[in-house]
Amino acid sequence: MTPTEIGIWVSMGMLVLVVLGMRVAFAAALAGLVGLVWIFWAKKGYDPDQFWWALTVATKTAGQVPHSKIASQALSLIPTFILIGYLAYHAGFTRALFDAAKKWVGWVPGGMAVATVFATAGFSAVSGASVATSAVFARIAIPEMQANGYDKRFAAGVVAAAGTLASLIPPSAILVIYAIIVEQDVGRLLLAGFIPGVFSALVYGAIIIGLALAIPSFGPPLRGFTWGERFRALPGALPILFVVFIIIVFIYNPFGGDAWGTPTEGGAIGAFVVFLMAVWRGMRWRAFRDALLETARLSVMIFSIIWGVLIYVRFLGFADLPGVFSDWITSLEMSPMLILVMILLAYAVLGMFMDAIGMLLLTLPVVYPAVMALNGGESVSAEMSTFGMSGPMCAIWFGILVVKMAEFCLITPPIGLNCFVVAGVRPDLSVQDVFKGVTPFFIADALTIALLVAFPAIVLWLPSLA
Amino acid sequence: MAMKAAVREDGSLLSRLDRALYRIEGAFGLISGLAVFGLMLLAVYSVGGRNFFNAPVRGYVDWIEVTMPLIAFMGISFAQRDGGHIRMDILVGRLRGRALWAAEFVSTLAILVLIVLLIWGSWAHFGRSFDWNAPLYSRDSTIDIKLPIWPAKLLAPVAFSVMALRLLLQLWGYGRAFLTGDAVAVPLIEDVATIAAREAEAVSGAEDKS
Amino acid sequence: TEWNVSLWGKRRAFTEHVEKLAELVSAKTNGEFTLNISYGGLSKNTENLDGISIGAFEMAQFCAGYHADKNPSITVLELPFLGVSTLEQEWDVSMAVYNHPATQADLGRWNATLLMPSPLPQYNIAGVGTPPETLADFEGLTVRATGGIGEALTMIGAVPTSVTSEEARQALDSGIVKSIAFAPHAHMSFGITEAAKWWSTNLNPGTVNCPIVVNTDALNALSDAERDALMSSIGEARQHYIDFYENETMAKWWPLLEEKGIQQISYNEERLAEFREKAAGPVAQKWIEENTARGLPAQELYDLVVSTLSGS
Ligand code: NA
Ligand code: NA
Repeated sequence: MTPTEIGIWVSMGMLVLVVLGMRVAFAAALAGLVGLVWIFWAKKGYDPDQFWWALTVATKTAGQVPHSKIASQALSLIPTFILIGYLAYHAGFTRALFDAAKKWVGWVPGGMAVATVFATAGFSAVSGASVATSAVFARIAIPEMQANGYDKRFAAGVVAAAGTLASLIPPSAILVIYAIIVEQDVGRLLLAGFIPGVFSALVYGAIIIGLALAIPSFGPPLRGFTWGERFRALPGALPILFVVFIIIVFIYNPFGGDAWGTPTEGGAIGAFVVFLMAVWRGMRWRAFRDALLETARLSVMIFSIIWGVLIYVRFLGFADLPGVFSDWITSLEMSPMLILVMILLAYAVLGMFMDAIGMLLLTLPVVYPAVMALNGGESVSAEMSTFGMSGPMCAIWFGILVVKMAEFCLITPPIGLNCFVVAGVRPDLSVQDVFKGVTPFFIADALTIALLVAFPAIVLWLPSLA
Repeated sequence: MAMKAAVREDGSLLSRLDRALYRIEGAFGLISGLAVFGLMLLAVYSVGGRNFFNAPVRGYVDWIEVTMPLIAFMGISFAQRDGGHIRMDILVGRLRGRALWAAEFVSTLAILVLIVLLIWGSWAHFGRSFDWNAPLYSRDSTIDIKLPIWPAKLLAPVAFSVMALRLLLQLWGYGRAFLTGDAVAVPLIEDVATIAAREAEAVSGAEDKS
Repeated sequence: TEWNVSLWGKRRAFTEHVEKLAELVSAKTNGEFTLNISYGGLSKNTENLDGISIGAFEMAQFCAGYHADKNPSITVLELPFLGVSTLEQEWDVSMAVYNHPATQADLGRWNATLLMPSPLPQYNIAGVGTPPETLADFEGLTVRATGGIGEALTMIGAVPTSVTSEEARQALDSGIVKSIAFAPHAHMSFGITEAAKWWSTNLNPGTVNCPIVVNTDALNALSDAERDALMSSIGEARQHYIDFYENETMAKWWPLLEEKGIQQISYNEERLAEFREKAAGPVAQKWIEENTARGLPAQELYDLVVSTLSGS
């Protein structure tokens, strides 16, 4: 059997393990380890005397991955961005934002759900991790929506989908990961995420209003707030604006001269300010410890998936599956735009089975160069290019598209991390309930992605000013 | 919070071992959380030093690299105890009684096999970076200020070993549940109403504080 | 026989000798012996020696400065101001150190045999802000530099700051560092030339040493014909590499500096000699002391470098 065939068999085996209910991180790692043994043993012609050698080499190769892949500065952003989310929750930001949004937009059909989306979008400007964002809003928004007669599956779907905004609206851990994999400017990428993030929020809002009009039981409007109540709700939401202001000033320094630090550091500064605010608002050791433990729990879960998937990716490297894929893509005789759309569709399918970070780590080393080549190379000018944009701009555009696809995969079954988290926080909801509730947002996301593909200016306008 | 299943406790030896191990795991989890907080403070300190005193932290990246394993591994068993590592429960969620315990037993056993192999592999990885006869016992160092890497590499087999103990306890728990029908010390796929009540309590508690 | 080769990044001047080797070996053995090159698929670059030691792949590239404690012997080649001026010299002095028994024993712990270097020209510094017209201007300048080069720059008051090569551009854009020390091909491939305002043409503080190693057992397991095909191709690979670096990379470098309007700063010989005196001696002395303590014949290795360079 050729390495490529071994690669395909083992990949199918991994999917079977996942569907049978083995915890994802370990299913991927086990598949990768078994695959490595297979590859090394095959190299020795399946000689029984060489099995022990193959097992040793495979185990030692896999045993390197957890430490060597995790010890990276880039990944240190993830726990920081998770911590900021939990601290902001304990500082009362989420509650205040949700209250204000509820009072201002509650009156439209599906108003509570629209308020949830807007409050989440606001919170996304300090939170860098989709999963953590969904987790904190699941606690606040779902019970209130249910109390107001919302369909509970729909309520859960709104929170799961809205959480994905955190990865487009800066700061965003996943945009940073993309920037690092493809070696592009992190600051411009983060900037580029802003308008598509707001755009996605508007599309979500429109879908909700449409659904609420069509099916009244989904979300009755919430009336009766006076203008006085509305304005009184605003000051509570001000601290978050202050934190956003600090982060923006820090990273983009509008006063001229150099920026004061990297986005990584901007995130840490933001987290520190939120921490001070939380302490000021009365956070004590117990709440702080809870925030730390929650951060630890979510971080270790994400990191386990990262190293588990990377053991599997290491095996794929030995099987040379990415190389085979790359050759195949570049040999296709199709229009480049069609190929791009096919790539995005492939991400949608892959995203059903993988988590977002794992998917990017797995595919970008292969797919990104192919896309850049389609556009005419890394340093092509806008005039000479296929998609009408320069090389660096194409990197940004494709990055936002891919991250949007990765966010999409956070809500698609069977492995949609946001949905798992929402179901985990609200145990009266099964994972299947949340997947059902989130279905309408597939349409919203498909629409958003189509518009981003058709009108790249939505993505590129802001970074082109920088 | 996120993905925290209930674990039944009673006076049995298994349950007492479970709680004893859980205390260690909780401490590891807290260390991991404090490491995240420490990284944040380090960044603030580094920014401050650079912008106000023209004295950047030397080896900032090196310190991050040796801290990351604390965050990435230390809580692995803490999460496993409460069923915190995600999975698809579309199929297992439908099983009841012996079928469920048998399925959980088999998948836990598979994870144990994996983890035991990874203890071996990550221990070997540590071993290549450690040398009794070298200065600071170091055979592998970071790029900038040459910190020894072996303590960070050692964290992987240590955390995986605690994980292996946890998996053994869970195998015992699932095995016992299979034989007696009484599930202790394993994360439960619970009766929905019970969890909802418990979780509502926890959330309203957290709400009051914020 | 099929060998897996673990490199990283993408195909570039820095990997041309391995690509050439693969081509020659396959041609000489009529495809009986092939080198299967992987860019990053088989290992992280800082773990390539571990992979060789395990036997996961048979050939790999790494840089000595990534992990000085793994390969103390060859870090002698990364000391500042050794006085290397051509790639040929860099190749020869590297091979002299690689062939020393102490070095062979040092790498032997990894079951690794050193095959050839990947010689790089002297590092120089590109940066933003006020150009350091004189060496005195380096006082307080933040610079991304590692290893011996970083230590040397400390001697003239610069402040080395650690960021990875991947984050170098970002660090420059965001003001974390004002300047970056790289070889020309890296200044280009990491986009430093897009942002830099000035370049130090003749500071020449030193370079990094990045050998190609093979797994010793795998090397011994080759048939005579295969080993012969491999070893006899090194000379041609060397020539190809050096020609490529000089004719392709450096040919692009100078026009690029002009095109981007990057100011070229030269220092007068007198001040450079002062810098060398200040930095070269103490850093080398420290290296010798530390590595003697490790049980390496450090003085002997250092003398070997000096004598090889003065002889060539
Ligand atoms: Na965000
Ligand atoms: Na999914």
